[in-house]
Amino acid sequence: MKQPAVISSKDEVTAFNVAPVLGAMILNWSIMTSPLLELRNISKSFAMTAALTDMSFSVEPAEIHAIVGENGAGKSTLIKIMTGVYQPDAGTVVCNGNPVTIPNTQVAQKLGIGAIFQEPMVFPDLDVAENIFISHRNKGVLMDWKRLHSEADALVQQLGISLDVRRPASGLTLAEQQTVEIARALSLDVKVLIMDEPTASLSAHEVDKLLTIARTLKSRGVAVLYISHRLDEIFKIADRVTVLRDGKHISTKPIAEVSREGLVKDMVGRNIDAFATKKKANAVGERILSVRNFGKAGVFSGVHFDVHAGEILCFAGLVGARRTDVGLALFGVAPSTEGTIEIQGKAITVKTPRDGMAHRIAYVSEDRRKLGLALPMSIFSNITLASLKAFLNRFGLIDRSREKTIAEDYRQQLGIRSPDVFIEAGKLSGGNQQKVMLAKWLETKPRILIFDEPTRGVDVGAKAEVHNIIRQLAKDGVAIIVISSDLPEVLALADRILVMREGRQMGIFAIEESSQENIMALATGQHELKVA
Amino acid sequence: MLSALRHLHPQTLRVIALALVLVLTVVFFTTQIDNYFSPRMLSRIATSAAVVLPIAIGQAIVVMTRNIDLSVGSLVGVVAYVCGDFLASHQGMHPMVFIIFCLIVGGCCGTINGLLVAYGRVPSIIVTLGTLALYRTFLVEYSDARTITTSSLPQWLVEFPSATLFSIGPFEFRSTVALAVLAAVVAWLALTRLRAARQFYAVGSNPDAAVFAGINSARVVFWAFVISGVLAGLSGFIFLAKFGNITVVAGMGYELKSVAAVVVGGVNIFGGSGSIVGVVLGTVLVDTIDNSLIRWAVVSEFWREALLGILIMLAVVADTLMARSFGRLKGGSL
Repeated sequence: MKQPAVISSKDEVTAFNVAPVLGAMILNWSIMTSPLLELRNISKSFAMTAALTDMSFSVEPAEIHAIVGENGAGKSTLIKIMTGVYQPDAGTVVCNGNPVTIPNTQVAQKLGIGAIFQEPMVFPDLDVAENIFISHRNKGVLMDWKRLHSEADALVQQLGISLDVRRPASGLTLAEQQTVEIARALSLDVKVLIMDEPTASLSAHEVDKLLTIARTLKSRGVAVLYISHRLDEIFKIADRVTVLRDGKHISTKPIAEVSREGLVKDMVGRNIDAFATKKKANAVGERILSVRNFGKAGVFSGVHFDVHAGEILCFAGLVGARRTDVGLALFGVAPSTEGTIEIQGKAITVKTPRDGMAHRIAYVSEDRRKLGLALPMSIFSNITLASLKAFLNRFGLIDRSREKTIAEDYRQQLGIRSPDVFIEAGKLSGGNQQKVMLAKWLETKPRILIFDEPTRGVDVGAKAEVHNIIRQLAKDGVAIIVISSDLPEVLALADRILVMREGRQMGIFAIEESSQENIMALATGQHELKVA
Repeated sequence: MLSALRHLHPQTLRVIALALVLVLTVVFFTTQIDNYFSPRMLSRIATSAAVVLPIAIGQAIVVMTRNIDLSVGSLVGVVAYVCGDFLASHQGMHPMVFIIFCLIVGGCCGTINGLLVAYGRVPSIIVTLGTLALYRTFLVEYSDARTITTSSLPQWLVEFPSATLFSIGPFEFRSTVALAVLAAVVAWLALTRLRAARQFYAVGSNPDAAVFAGINSARVVFWAFVISGVLAGLSGFIFLAKFGNITVVAGMGYELKSVAAVVVGGVNIFGGSGSIVGVVLGTVLVDTIDNSLIRWAVVSEFWREALLGILIMLAVVADTLMARSFGRLKGGSL
């Protein structure tokens, strides 16, 4: 369709001198690299709230295009419009120069638009190869298992990873599941691959692998839309970056033209300082928790540490280092089999979460959906869920008005963004769900508070808020354990850092002695060192 | 030993365990009941299981998609009665045509279930609980308190269940059993070899992911119910042929039997996994226990239902425990 334009511009090249030649070249180039996908003035609202307003941007072939913005900025809506889950209220989607409507995911697939998500969309009961080719419908009526497996093998190898394609997907790690999804997209001849928070729950090593895969895709001409809260990754990998805020397009710039501070400022509309590394440990109080020779058969062993009142102890390590298992054992979800726990000098046993709560231990889970919140319930019922006993009146009935008052207090104190406390928890964004969960545990008045990945999938603004809340809690004298795979977070929060690797404690040291380098060295097992 | 188990697919392990339980059950009753392990008893179990097997297969497909079909018992009754009644007044109908007629009647009832669940978005347990009652009430109204008797049916149908296709030693392979086995083989081939049939697993395994993989979940669930209806039609035919005398209570309680066979057969009640081989073994096990208890003097006949219930619960508990220990073997947390 555009062929005549190219030819006429070439004719001009021979006829005129340098300036038109350059002009023609630019014209030529711009035609050859016309946007793969373009959104023009897209708007979308739900009920009364506008999720996207007059949003325009374009994706070029073979680029890695980062999209950043706080939670609720409209990123999810944008993805859902591109993948055909939602229909825009206004505006057009243009694919390869043609306006298109994307009524469902099948059509998106045909247009070459695919997406992978923070929570992988795999079928746990099907094997890897089947997962990869699940969307193929034009491959014959019968399953040719042999061919299926060999083709899946080839695809996985193209991505430069080793994976047994005959394994059921249920046994795969999160990172492996993502690879399966990428292979699936690749098998569908994807042109635009949207990656939504792909690294939110990956270890540093796995992140590197994923970034390599993204570059591989780019070299094959695929446009990667990379959505992440982790600015480090964006600066490592992106060619261009688009900022969204409150459903509006704020800016699209080549990565070379933006600074970290400028990006954050664009995202939140104000300056925040979320990346400062803590220089010095806080003064701490008496010893609250001491754990000796702590272990669980076949999972972890030899864990050994103290936490004092007002202290933040961070558990660093790669995913699979079994840090979560230590946390779960302390709280009683998956009890330990060896070692001792002492609270303020008294030995205790924790076999169930009830025991943990009785000793005023609270556990704020990383898995909000599975372990944290009752999503269909209102904010206030979620907040009072773990401490409902305290809300009974003298007839043994729940005192609803007190429930609401307390919940309202938390809403304001923690800055939960919702008009009131009657809204379903499931309707909140990730960061706000995290705050509701935190409120729930704070209401149990814990002495020891365990945070597991407290800012997983949470935007910078909310991240800084969560960090401030954690620091404030420490100041109030709570003994805090933070399990985090996010190293800057660990360095920003911790008074002391405990590093684990494959179920073993590799070392524990004060913040003054730690750096990204020595933590990573221990976490990856490059060398071992022990500091008391 | 453990490391060997590690390489086996949990489903395979499940089938092996089930086969072992079946053997143990037979051995147990052989020691308890005189003259138990005889061709006659085996034939009795086989023909009785043949009635349940088609609906168990249909139930398995429905359960795989995270649904349940409680109406199959009533469906068997409706098909057996209505089709039997029709045949009584159309004696000349060709046997093949009549079987297909049964399947279509069952399929139509299944279509109603499927439409309500998949497109009406009513939970399947509610829909099929409703149609369980509706189909039965329809049958009561339709029958007008009459009973279909063997004498009103054409000769070929009366002779059909006792027809022996071939015999291995003293064991005779009956035609009704052959029909049920045929259904099982077709279902097994389809679920393992047919691309479209793999979608039942996909939808049950992760419904959200199915949407993003471009699978039309509603359509898949709809077809699961239609297939369940068609297979209930087959069960209805086998029921009619086997018993000949059909009253309005025909097929009552078969929904429990089918769910038991499916769950005992290792189909995950939360969807996504299960094998036809398991369902066949589950059906045979449930029917073996059922038939043997009738002849076992120690336990009252009324305990059969209770035992069925206990068996379902045991199977689910065993599944959960096994899933957990597998999680541990594979090094997963929690």
